[in-house]
Amino acid sequence: MKGLDTNLQALLTGIRNAIGVPALLLFSAMTGFGSLAQEQGLSLYISMLSTVLIWGMPGQVVHVELYGLGAPLIAVVLGVAGANARFMPMTLSMMPVFADSPHNRKWNYLFSHFISINTWAEMLNRGHEIRADRRVPYFMGFSATCMFSGVIGVYQGYVLFESMPDIVSLCLIFLVPIYFGLIMSNTLHPPYLMAFVLGGLLGAPMYLLTPEWGLVLSGLIAGTISFLLRNVLKGFRKSREGND
Amino acid sequence: MTDYYAWIVFIFAIIATYIWRFAGVMISHRIEANHPAFEFFTCLAYGIIASLVARTLIIPSGLMAEVPLWQRLIPMIFAFMGFYLFGKRLLVGIIFGETAFILLLFVGEISNL
Repeated sequence: MKGLDTNLQALLTGIRNAIGVPALLLFSAMTGFGSLAQEQGLSLYISMLSTVLIWGMPGQVVHVELYGLGAPLIAVVLGVAGANARFMPMTLSMMPVFADSPHNRKWNYLFSHFISINTWAEMLNRGHEIRADRRVPYFMGFSATCMFSGVIGVYQGYVLFESMPDIVSLCLIFLVPIYFGLIMSNTLHPPYLMAFVLGGLLGAPMYLLTPEWGLVLSGLIAGTISFLLRNVLKGFRKSREGND
Repeated sequence: MTDYYAWIVFIFAIIATYIWRFAGVMISHRIEANHPAFEFFTCLAYGIIASLVARTLIIPSGLMAEVPLWQRLIPMIFAFMGFYLFGKRLLVGIIFGETAFILLLFVGEISNL
């Protein structure tokens, strides 16, 4: 990426690249969350803050649903922890992107809060195109824009969802699996692609088996198999491309 | 009283999410930059996110649950075709998927009459 001579330029480029599909996606996903929160009787204030402070939709949904059911606190904690456990591997695998940045590494504890599937995929796929010392402002611009449009989405969903035609709501909801399906499958690294395919196959059946930890469990199985087979997979790709 | 409880539950939900991010940063600071753990955890992340996508597609909640499964799966295939056959452009994939989704919603409605 060019034109990243100052931190401000990097921040603005991040904002610009987020405006469009990434921001629209957060907006529409969060309208779904907003309408759910309204149905379950969570206040508008907490619902909007939830997007800023939790910033992980599956956990936010679990929180709202269990709160609506009047479930015990420990159930809410375990449910949210299970639904958002992906942030551990995601944060861990994104940190090398910031490794050559001049900032104090303690700031990573703050930056990690802004990671979402969206921003994670952006930094993993395009982070290397950005100068190492400009990655943090780029990331913050990109993430903050997504978060901001998510908060607007919650508001819109909370206040207007019921007056929207069903077909519009359905199209907004359907955008989420399409978007994540496409950006996650678009990886050139064979083990990641295999983890994606296996996770996709195991996800639904494992969820039926144990709703709370099914996603983590199926991710663990898919990820471990792909990691163990990584050398086989890379070798296969090389031989197919005819390199030595 | 109920308001007060809502905030306590909310604060615990925030902690239950942030703790994973915190753990991720902490572990990353304790291992070398090209440790195989980074690749392993990226595999895990891909696996978990793919499971999540599959679940929202196959076992949705709310309004989407009323749309039959085939009307969700076929548009998804169209989205992938649009994306990979036409230069991996996100917008093209989304337009393919959403168009197929809308058309099948109308077809489904007609066959229900």
